[in-house]
Amino acid sequence: MPEQSAPTPSMEPFRPAGLGDTDGPGTVQIRKLVKSFGANTVLKDINVDIAAGEVCVLIGPSGSGKSTLLRCIDGLEQIDSGVLRVNGEDLGYIEDATHYRPLSRTDRRRQRTQIGMVFQQFNLFPNMTALENITVGQTLVKRTTRAQAKQRARELLTRVGLEGHGNHYPAQLSGGQQQRVAIARSLAMDPQVMLFDEPTSALDPELVGDVLDVMRQLADEGMTMLVTTHEMGFAREVANSLLFMADGYIVERGDPREVLANPQEPRTQQFLKKVL
Amino acid sequence: MWVVCLIITAGIAYTLITNPRYHWSTIRHYLTAATVLKGLWLTIWMTVLVMLIATILGLLVAVMRASKILPVRILAICYINVFRGTPVLVQLILWFNIAALYPHIRLGIPFTPVGGNLNTNALISATTAAIIGLSLNEAAYMAEIVRGGFNSVPKGQLEAGDSLGMSEAMKMRKIIIPQAMPTVIPATGNQLISMLKETSLVSVLGVADLLASVQLIYARTYETIPMLIVACIWYLVVSILLSYPQSKIEAHYDKSSRAILGKPLPTVEVPHA
Repeated sequence: MPEQSAPTPSMEPFRPAGLGDTDGPGTVQIRKLVKSFGANTVLKDINVDIAAGEVCVLIGPSGSGKSTLLRCIDGLEQIDSGVLRVNGEDLGYIEDATHYRPLSRTDRRRQRTQIGMVFQQFNLFPNMTALENITVGQTLVKRTTRAQAKQRARELLTRVGLEGHGNHYPAQLSGGQQQRVAIARSLAMDPQVMLFDEPTSALDPELVGDVLDVMRQLADEGMTMLVTTHEMGFAREVANSLLFMADGYIVERGDPREVLANPQEPRTQQFLKKVL
Repeated sequence: MWVVCLIITAGIAYTLITNPRYHWSTIRHYLTAATVLKGLWLTIWMTVLVMLIATILGLLVAVMRASKILPVRILAICYINVFRGTPVLVQLILWFNIAALYPHIRLGIPFTPVGGNLNTNALISATTAAIIGLSLNEAAYMAEIVRGGFNSVPKGQLEAGDSLGMSEAMKMRKIIIPQAMPTVIPATGNQLISMLKETSLVSVLGVADLLASVQLIYARTYETIPMLIVACIWYLVVSILLSYPQSKIEAHYDKSSRAILGKPLPTVEVPHA
């Protein structure tokens, strides 16, 4: 296999207009991130800044490293090298005047609660009701009282359009409903960044809309969101930046409408020709 | 096919009824004899107690086996291999004779003069040795069953827990153990039924279980076969009775499949003010 060469950074780093800080809560900063699984280097050189309140859609062919990037940002995968700062903190590490050392487990867990993750397969806990799925993190990790957690869970269920479904087990809910409970479960931890890993790919087409509506509402409220998806409509309407990834690199980044209509890089053109 | 089966059944029934050496009257007489019932009772409570200890211990070993800390994991692997890799009968005799190895057991704080010595022979009777031996052996098997249950929990479930910031202990308690139950319970039920029969081994230690009590009788009366049939009838009856609660517990843990059974729960949640 011929060695892939890194794309030359021809463009100025893209900054969506009218957004918040690029450091501090709700931001993601990535420099020279490398991640391999054995001999297979999945992320080769990732450099990107996500501003507070930015809605960034990641697209790219399967195996391009989109999911792995999200999993790294959520701390589910350990990065091999590079800098990964989420919410203004180095993920899993702390830097002081003289040292750069790993965080304690407790601190790593605290960082994780501030990052929400929504999985393609929902991953709701099947042994708990919808309400319990949403309260378990609050009572166990955040140590809120049971009554407060339940109250919050009901509010969140209402927010995702599932009022009155609290006593249902995941198996009694449709895929779209399960995914909305999963979003509520993540939101219950009060995250400042939300990651969506192909949130609608496992859903029947007629159920996709409800989930996207919830995500749109979340975006309107100013949540920082990173979304890998094949829903180009969502990218066009809701996202304020679009990242095209291929072979472990970020190939192109820009305004979603512009990139989708007029891609600059040949690799992006090639991909979009296939999917649009 | 029907005919063949019928002929075989009829043949067995014929010989059971007509062969006088079965001594059915003797069997009927001893089936509810006080000695036999006492032995049966010992067999039952020993089975239950051993399974209880073995399940708790097995869960502990399985948790250790799944530990991220290497020495803990190695300890658990050694335990499982030693106790599964040697015959349970040998283990029982070993525990019975443990006094030969450790004549005194010292209770107290290690390496300090605090505490006192106890005579091992007085402490570990035949029954205690039987319970220790069977429990420790069974715990190794239970640990492997529980581990199988742990492994049946999809990886995504643990990632969801990680993502919420749960610690290893929280994931174990809230995600892994409850979700492993539907896999572990039926297997434990089978182990319970096996254990009922395995307890017959303790008769070699002179513990008066069901088998030992019928042995005592036929040593006196020489009615070996009828007495063994008495024991078999009781073993059979209890195993059949034991398989019933297993299905109940299974249904209890299978909450997540309720929708599949077409019985959605009524929505009783009160909307908040």
